[in-house]
Amino acid sequence: MLNTATAESVLSAARRGGADFAELYVERWRRRTLRTIDGEVEEAVSAIEQGAGLRLFFGTDVVYAYTNDLADAALDELTQTLVRLRGTGGGVDAGGGGGLDLRRRTAAGVHAPRVAFEAQPRAWRLERLRELDAGARVDASVRQVEGRLLEWEQDVTVANSEGAWVDDRRVRTRCVAVVIASDGEQTQTGHFGPGLSLGLELFERHAPATIGEQAARQALVNLRARPAPAGTMPVVLGNGFGGVIFHEALGHLVETTSVARRASVLTDKLGEQIASPQVTYVDDGTTPHGWGSSEFDDEGMATERTVLIDRGVLTSYMVDRWGALKTGYARTGSGRRENYTYAPTSRMRNTFILPGDAEEPADLFAGIDLGLYAKSLGGGQVRPGSGEYNFAVKEGYMIRGGQVAEPVRGAMLVGKGPETIRLVDAVARDLATEPGMCGSMSGSIPTEVGQPHVRVSRIVVGGEA
Amino acid sequence: MSFERAKDHVLRRARERGVDAEVLATSTRELRLAASGGRVDEIGHANRGGVGVRVVADGRVGYASSEALDDASLDWMLDEAVENAALQPPRGAELPVGGPLGRSDLIGEGLSAAVEAKGAAVVALEGAIVADPRVDALFMARYAETETEAVLGSTRGVDGGYRNGYAMLMASPVMKQGDSVKQGWDVDVVKEFHQLDPTRTSQEILERVGRHLGATPLATGRYDTVFEPDVTAILLQLLLYSLSGKSVAEGKSRLAGRLGDRVASELITLVDDPTLPEGLASRPFDAEGTPARRTPLIEGGVLRSFLHNSDTARRTGQANTGHAQRSYASTLGVGPSNLVLEAGAGASLDDGVIVTDLMGVHAGANPITGDVSLQGLGLRVEGGATRPVENFALSFNLFELLERVNAVGDTLEWRPGGGGGMVAAPTLRVDALSFAGA
Repeated sequence: MLNTATAESVLSAARRGGADFAELYVERWRRRTLRTIDGEVEEAVSAIEQGAGLRLFFGTDVVYAYTNDLADAALDELTQTLVRLRGTGGGVDAGGGGGLDLRRRTAAGVHAPRVAFEAQPRAWRLERLRELDAGARVDASVRQVEGRLLEWEQDVTVANSEGAWVDDRRVRTRCVAVVIASDGEQTQTGHFGPGLSLGLELFERHAPATIGEQAARQALVNLRARPAPAGTMPVVLGNGFGGVIFHEALGHLVETTSVARRASVLTDKLGEQIASPQVTYVDDGTTPHGWGSSEFDDEGMATERTVLIDRGVLTSYMVDRWGALKTGYARTGSGRRENYTYAPTSRMRNTFILPGDAEEPADLFAGIDLGLYAKSLGGGQVRPGSGEYNFAVKEGYMIRGGQVAEPVRGAMLVGKGPETIRLVDAVARDLATEPGMCGSMSGSIPTEVGQPHVRVSRIVVGGEA
Repeated sequence: MSFERAKDHVLRRARERGVDAEVLATSTRELRLAASGGRVDEIGHANRGGVGVRVVADGRVGYASSEALDDASLDWMLDEAVENAALQPPRGAELPVGGPLGRSDLIGEGLSAAVEAKGAAVVALEGAIVADPRVDALFMARYAETETEAVLGSTRGVDGGYRNGYAMLMASPVMKQGDSVKQGWDVDVVKEFHQLDPTRTSQEILERVGRHLGATPLATGRYDTVFEPDVTAILLQLLLYSLSGKSVAEGKSRLAGRLGDRVASELITLVDDPTLPEGLASRPFDAEGTPARRTPLIEGGVLRSFLHNSDTARRTGQANTGHAQRSYASTLGVGPSNLVLEAGAGASLDDGVIVTDLMGVHAGANPITGDVSLQGLGLRVEGGATRPVENFALSFNLFELLERVNAVGDTLEWRPGGGGGMVAAPTLRVDALSFAGA
């Protein structure tokens, strides 16, 4: 995608123009989307996306430009425009041709797919979505089944004026079922959508029929659910996507994107007990085949496993290059972006709470007279400064006398992330993760959220209005 | 030009394979400059374009796109589009037949000024705004320019291209007087850079936001009302949903089946005109190569036409009006170009409320029913004096409101419209409208 001479020419020109640091990011995507409704194709599109982004640092000021004209002349023009507008006359490295000694590192294929992007005819894919559809037809009340298959292949090259050159390939596949069920009075939806850094062998781990069935089961539970009561009560958060609360209301607060601007309540809290001792919270970019994994981040740094909270103590932030410059914390391989149209910022990868002491999830329900089991969560809102959140419970049950009881719908969890994490009083061992798309300053990126079953001693539950 | 080469390559391969194909290549170049503290502090320079193909075979449609223009990428794109089409159930689709459309340049050297001059313009805008002592903060002062280029060709004869663009200055200050704090914004959009005037724009913005300082609650009641052009533009965008041939084809337009009926006051004449020389969204042809022409949508209050592409026209049995819209990466849609609500004799007000802004359109307006309940900001005109008012909500039905318009302003203001189009809107007057206030 990028030849060495072009990279050297662009990076050196930027340095001659006064930039303290220059980074060239080039990528190429192939994407396929196949969507069916009730087994018929609703959408089938394919795309190649290709482009380059140039980021220059002048101190901690950052300028960014992108183009998908990858010709040498276009990249040179881009560089000249940025340098001229910044208006600083040369100075840094003004004499040299950059003196760049680019050292190339290439991904080893840790997350590489077994089934190639070109494998299988298109009709094979449609058959899988029809299996998903059939699997979802578990009850006469199932009215509509939507199936989606997303296939992404992304090749990335990052070169910078420090001499780094990195080539990475990321292949991701996700299959989503959305089921609408109705009993004539109520209409409810269910949703299930596994995704991993893999090819079509995703279906060996998650049979299409099972994906459809899981989504349908959730819709049916909601159909027979009664309106949730309101009040403050103990809440058990389900494993897997239950972790989205901590992603939104805690994870985002420890990205340097907010910490460096002092826009987070967790600014300057390293070494402090900010969570319950039950909680060890990790952001891991290295999980083999994880939805949010990659060998290198979008700034060309090898990803790593970052322990954010160790038994309640804040041990690290998620730090990108700009964040490191602003705060002095070491980079953690957390610079990510949706595509070349965005400059990278510090972002989550696969973020989860580690297994705790409780032998069985059932142990978490024991001793709760009246509480809520939020088995699965849906969308929510968070104010990043304070961590105030509200999340809709997608699948919920009452807890009565230490047992999971009848299903409830319309429950809303309301609280502040930094408070909720202190109120975690038990963590089970059944860690599970689920894929999601996380939106922030540098666009929408794949991330995993996860946790074992987690008990919070009290959360405000808003019932159905 | 590599787009032309890419188009020719894909069409040649499509003919070899015996499929009908249409190739649309678009590219957009954007420059965004923001100023603070007397210097340009944010620079965005973007260049994005690509090639999209729509394949029609046996009445089935398939799409694919590529931002890479090498032969291997283009061949992959065509293969994928053919495979995507084969998955669809037959829908009776056809590619429209067309002809040579020529190559047009609608912008010329309009944006060719040096980048330093553009930086100076936004710095001047920022300086003039923060110089006003009532300005407490400046959220954004920005220069932005967009230049687009489109090339279209098909195996059924369509062949054309054009280039267009515009430049704008915008700012969003927070102004303060005593306890009263108001944030607002304004944008000045022009076709050529030299038409921009930072001094004029800054004065307009300060006037538009500053006139609301010291606003008091409006008493609940019925008032004769004038909507400023900004608000008229919001209403027109809401109306577009019902005028879209796509909404008609999907059974979602309240105006479906009413062609030839009176649907608005006889003072209302609404036209979509892609041929306007001064139009910021002018184009010689639409995304399927249908030549541009002026389309009256409502004339003297009578519904004359919906906006159609070849597909919605076929599905509804109506005439294609040349309003196909898509980018290389999207599928076929419908959209306006220059939507003009024609000026009238003037709309004055002796006693009533001038509504200057409506907030929360996404949540508070239902485009299908036309029911609107929105928070507004405005000016109370009473006994020859004007004072700012706030904290009121307007509730009305868009379709009923349009029937009640009893005066139309005599000047038009251009605003960015939805879906890449532009809207030219006058003031509108409606009497005895219901306001919920203090």
